[in-house]
Amino acid sequence: MSMYLKYLRCLIASFLFFIFASSDTWATSNFAYSDEWLAIGHYQSKWNGYESTIDTDNFFLSENGKVNPKSELDATIALFQSDNDKIKCLFPARYILLRKFNLVKNKFPKCEEYDKFYDDLRPAGVTFLFTDAYMNSPSSLFGHTLIRIDTKRTGSQLLAHGANYGAFTGENPGPLYPILGIFGGYYGGFTVKPYYDIINTYNNIENRDIWELELNLSQKEIDFFVAHLWEVGQAQSRYYFFERNCSYMLMELLDVVQPTLKMAKKFPLQTIPIDTFKAVYKAKGLVKNVNYRPSRQNKIRYNYNQMNQNQKNAFLEIIANQKYKSDTLSDAEKAEVLETAYQYVQYKNVAQEISLTDYRKQSFKLLQNRNKIKNIVLKDNLIEGKPPFDTHNSMRAETVLGEHNGDGFEEISIRPAYHSLTDDNYGFLRGAEINFLDTTVRHYNKKNNMVLEKFELLSIRSISPADKMFNPISFQIFADVSRETNKDKKDGYVANLVVGGGSAYTLSDDVWIFALINNHLAYGGFLPRNQWAGISGNIGLLADWGRLRWLAEAEKTFATSKIGSKIIYKSEILYSVSRNLALLLNYKYQQNYGEDIEEWGVGLRSYF
Amino acid sequence: MKKIYFASLVSGAVMMMTSSAFAVDSTGCGLGSMAWKGNSGIGPQVLAATTNASFGTQTFGITFGTSGCDPNGRVSGGTGRMMLAFLENNLEQFAIDVAAGYGETIDTVAGILNMDSKEFGLKAQAQFAYLFADENVEAVDVTLKVLQLA
Repeated sequence: MSMYLKYLRCLIASFLFFIFASSDTWATSNFAYSDEWLAIGHYQSKWNGYESTIDTDNFFLSENGKVNPKSELDATIALFQSDNDKIKCLFPARYILLRKFNLVKNKFPKCEEYDKFYDDLRPAGVTFLFTDAYMNSPSSLFGHTLIRIDTKRTGSQLLAHGANYGAFTGENPGPLYPILGIFGGYYGGFTVKPYYDIINTYNNIENRDIWELELNLSQKEIDFFVAHLWEVGQAQSRYYFFERNCSYMLMELLDVVQPTLKMAKKFPLQTIPIDTFKAVYKAKGLVKNVNYRPSRQNKIRYNYNQMNQNQKNAFLEIIANQKYKSDTLSDAEKAEVLETAYQYVQYKNVAQEISLTDYRKQSFKLLQNRNKIKNIVLKDNLIEGKPPFDTHNSMRAETVLGEHNGDGFEEISIRPAYHSLTDDNYGFLRGAEINFLDTTVRHYNKKNNMVLEKFELLSIRSISPADKMFNPISFQIFADVSRETNKDKKDGYVANLVVGGGSAYTLSDDVWIFALINNHLAYGGFLPRNQWAGISGNIGLLADWGRLRWLAEAEKTFATSKIGSKIIYKSEILYSVSRNLALLLNYKYQQNYGEDIEEWGVGLRSYF
Repeated sequence: MKKIYFASLVSGAVMMMTSSAFAVDSTGCGLGSMAWKGNSGIGPQVLAATTNASFGTQTFGITFGTSGCDPNGRVSGGTGRMMLAFLENNLEQFAIDVAAGYGETIDTVAGILNMDSKEFGLKAQAQFAYLFADENVEAVDVTLKVLQLA
């Protein structure tokens, strides 16, 4: 009997052991594929399982942690049960998460470096930042996104920190850097900087607007975010300019804090910064406040436009001749003039249009004059811009019905990104065009044939008017393959590369004119000697009345081959029915070596 | 015809030169972002950077140079160190805010000093000539004088 009992006891014990052991593995293997654990390990599902976006080994505790969430979870639980405090200190967010789900019981050790990091940041919130396009750098054409960890420090958010994800290209990236950047030749990682440094870089040096989206997170979520930033801050990932870039990485960060958001999944192919900004803005309950920090240049322009004529005269007299004739102005008017002139001198210094000695002299004189006026507090008037979340969508489809020398055609173009001069300009940098991979297919009615009309790898245009204050250059770059006809009416494909520069001026606020000199290289099997080189001059008019836009251009090309020498007149009129739908009317006349070409079309542009 | 080839070659070279000049200062989304390596060894690096900055000779007008070039920048340390780092990077804006007696940098500096912003603004405005003695003033001097003022 007693033996029987012993046996039973043993059986019960082993049964209980079995239940406990299996329930433990059951719990962890379930948790290993939960949204929370997948997000914190930056795992994305693949056809054959999972893979983490993070590439460096130091982010994983298990040997195959990059592709195996379960073994990484087991290794992490084992770590927190060990006494390896040094490594524990690298993973404060994983600890918080596992503790929350009762998968670890030990205490988190004291971590000097992490505590210092937390104490310096004094996190009070998380803000998603978007800076608009910077035309003078190829890597910044699409804008940029960053994260700000708001601070509890008294004073202002200038003492907060920004976290920036970028590619580590080294000090001298060399000529291959665009290729390396696009195809994963660099590693990307996070950088932390004081927010004032970020404002200086974007607002003051590069003259880009900053948009701040304050996120609606609890203090627990904020602390969790900072803990994860510390974790991921030591790791790196291969950087792909179009997909796995700064903006994509921030989406994965947001998923860590709120796994239900699933932000990263919204960007499976290309991650355009402005699209992530819109996605954050539109995510339900995520944003509690929107702030606008205009660039220095925009502030100067705005302040100048607000001035009365006497102020404008006084301002121009100061910046041109350093003469202070402001006796007729009131104190407040004078203060406006002096503060704007001061910002203008700062702008000139950054643009290196003034020597350091002159810059200091002029700045100091303005400071002294401003200091003579007491008790005047000017209002910051430029607090509302045109928010980028109201812009048209990045993808564009265009359908056109038209005639080419009397032959009717139908045409479809698809452009994955991003903005043309004649697209609705609301929320975009005016006069800036960046198009990628615009592809046009055309069906001709007479011959009843379908042809690839044009494949545009890239078009960049920056039409930036000069005025009394600013003297920027305008420039353009086109790289495309297009279908052309020679004098024997034979068709063929020609690869074109056009690079040009010049100036633009304003006729009025809405109507700009520009003149550019271009360098043109063409290559194609059906051309005589396969190629030609040329120089062209083009003049244009760009009118933007909001819903209605008009771009008219004339271009004359002098080329090494007669087939390259031509004159082209073009006109394009757009009328926006809504933000994402526009009517199109275009006309082109081309004087060639062979037969002239006349073409017109009517169509529809939709953005999605 | 040769002339056109030559001219297009020259203009091409000029354009390549200007476009590479564009690329130098790229801190945008992606290629060319200035970044520093992870957080490992952050302690020594920050220490090195800030001690260096404490004895630095950054002068009025060229302080924007640290933007993007001061990769270890971090708001840290006591009042003095924080003030110096802030003023080295924001001296131009602080100068006009002191002259006017208000502004975001006045709020910030008053915050570092734990003072009322309005009170500090008026005090600083009245002491402008003391804080900014001449156009070649250095951030270190301004910092010391601001700390005295508090």
